[in-house]
Amino acid sequence: MLASFYTGPIQFGPLNSVPIDLMSPRNAIDLTATITTPENIQFEYRIAGPFRRIPAFLVDLLVRFIAFLAIFVAVACSGITQLFPFLSQFATIGVVILLTYFFIDWFYGVFFETYWNGRTIGKWISKIQVISVDGRPISAYQATIRNFLRLADLAPMMSLAAIFANDAPPFLFPTGLVAILCMVFTTRFQRLGDLAAGTMVVVDERAWVPPKVKLEDPRVASLSELIPANFMMSRSMVRAVALYAERRMRMPMARRMELSAILAAPLMAQLGLREDTSPDLFLCALYYREFVAKPIAITDSTSVDVGIPISQATPVLDTAGPKPVSHESTSTPPPDLAPYPQIPNGQQIPNGEYP
Amino acid sequence: MRTVDLLERRRQGWHELDSMCDKYRNFSSLKKPTAAEVTRFAALYRAACTDLAMAENLKLPPTTLDYLHRLVGRAHSHLYRSHRLPTSLWWTYVFETMPKAVFNDPCVKITGVIFFGLFSLAALLSWAEGTFPKFGETILGKEQIQQLEGSFAKPLSGNIDQYASMAAFYIQHNTSIGLECFALGPLLIPSLFKLAYNAIVLGASFGYMARPEIAAGDTFFEFVTAHGVFELTAISLSAAAGLRLGIGWIVTNGLSRLDAFRVSAKKALPIILVAVALFILAAFTEGFISPSPLPYAVKALFAIVSASLLMFYFVILGYPSDLESNSEESVI
Repeated sequence: MLASFYTGPIQFGPLNSVPIDLMSPRNAIDLTATITTPENIQFEYRIAGPFRRIPAFLVDLLVRFIAFLAIFVAVACSGITQLFPFLSQFATIGVVILLTYFFIDWFYGVFFETYWNGRTIGKWISKIQVISVDGRPISAYQATIRNFLRLADLAPMMSLAAIFANDAPPFLFPTGLVAILCMVFTTRFQRLGDLAAGTMVVVDERAWVPPKVKLEDPRVASLSELIPANFMMSRSMVRAVALYAERRMRMPMARRMELSAILAAPLMAQLGLREDTSPDLFLCALYYREFVAKPIAITDSTSVDVGIPISQATPVLDTAGPKPVSHESTSTPPPDLAPYPQIPNGQQIPNGEYP
Repeated sequence: MRTVDLLERRRQGWHELDSMCDKYRNFSSLKKPTAAEVTRFAALYRAACTDLAMAENLKLPPTTLDYLHRLVGRAHSHLYRSHRLPTSLWWTYVFETMPKAVFNDPCVKITGVIFFGLFSLAALLSWAEGTFPKFGETILGKEQIQQLEGSFAKPLSGNIDQYASMAAFYIQHNTSIGLECFALGPLLIPSLFKLAYNAIVLGASFGYMARPEIAAGDTFFEFVTAHGVFELTAISLSAAAGLRLGIGWIVTNGLSRLDAFRVSAKKALPIILVAVALFILAAFTEGFISPSPLPYAVKALFAIVSASLLMFYFVILGYPSDLESNSEESVI
């Protein structure tokens, strides 16, 4: 045993492990949560981090305070006190204040999140929203749990005596360390209340809209034909090229040259293009080749809003790639769980190309 | 058909969906959308979903794909909105789910033993002045004893103003303490500390006031008799709910810790709701009945009736039916 231990060099990860694909949603170090709906459609939510949630919390604190003051003033000034003739005005105001304070303190978040689709006023302003971790809307039960447990999230309380040496204010100051630590150690930035209720906070904001790409230079099309037909771009490169093409209109020429050269220069050398080709033009040609010149194999329906009939959209396909040749290959294949989509124009979808 | 043409055709629908989402997240969403709007929204949502599902086939640029992900996510959360309170179920919840949750939860027994055990012990130690001198005085402190004796020096009387203000104060103050006990449950220690602290201080006060030489004792017991049943049970129950939450981290019953925590939160909610209801009942009793100059017999009768009602609620309504008792786990 021991001898075999020393026979070869110890192999570390990179020698025998597959390279990590950072573009796949499983490995991406970004702030998205992938939801799969029962219709088998996958989409991503952007998760809200502490820097959106703390302002929302502070706004809510302010709103609660203002609501409390407003009710106090309204009760004191209005004739509501006359409704209870058996109580003195002073006692009525006292009762209303205490009860208002209690209900606003504990049930503000519960009420708003239940009746306003997972939003409070603070969340509405910082454009975030609470949903279940499985993507479904939040229920009254979840809203109650996550709001009741806020107290534990604000723990530990700190005395301000450490800051103000002599005249410390008489109240304890919540540090919120529990919530912050919890957010750091969970993948969806969940605080303790979120963990207990099974909720997460996502961004509800208009995403950056990719603008229409303008390829104004007439040489783009001819340059794209110079690129060898067998040259295939990787997914990450397609992404980089598309991002560049969509944003280049906002950049001055010098900046375009500088940025595009990073990707274009080594590629052009590899493809044997002339060195004095503009790197900006080259990336535009790549974009043109990928998104403009290539036809896509669909028959588009006539109206814009209906899109493609849903029967074509079955995303259940064999993604395992070519089947291994084995003795089992002679037997009949198992029946498909879902029919293969009908591909117009008689084209075949090669195995493994589907997401 | 090329990608650019497709984008050109789709873009309009996507933008319309986006602006509808914007509209519905604003205050105008309080107004119910018309049937036509809902249909249009659903059609646009389905179209965007289809585009997303076919993205690979349609050769959409990755940035457009990102945009579609966000758009579909937004539309999804507007289409499927939060559930309101299920008002049709409240009868079942209050008279079946809640008492059963309390009766079947071992945490209720544990905190019951801790609370009433510490309470009785402190009361005994504080009462037996000869055997344990200075116990009550040490626990309560001079100021608190003076305040306690002072407030019960005069016989009970009051007017409606005082009663109403006191009831409101107790609702706010005591229920908040109970909810804090629950909320600190996931951290376990603060919740148990709060429970033990309340048990010992309350017990010591009871024991001290029960000493024969304390003049204010009679008035004190006349005051606490009526609401004691509700309030002491409520304190114990709110700590039980907190303990149930905290135990979820430790006793997982084969689940992952996070899942066990989530399951225990689901079990703890009915218990804390019972506690809140009891706190509010106790506050009304403490506000209106306890300080009133009613004869002691009435107050004692109230205590007996409230205790029997609680017994009925927890034991008769909470007793598990045959089916459930078989499947119920006996482990914590």
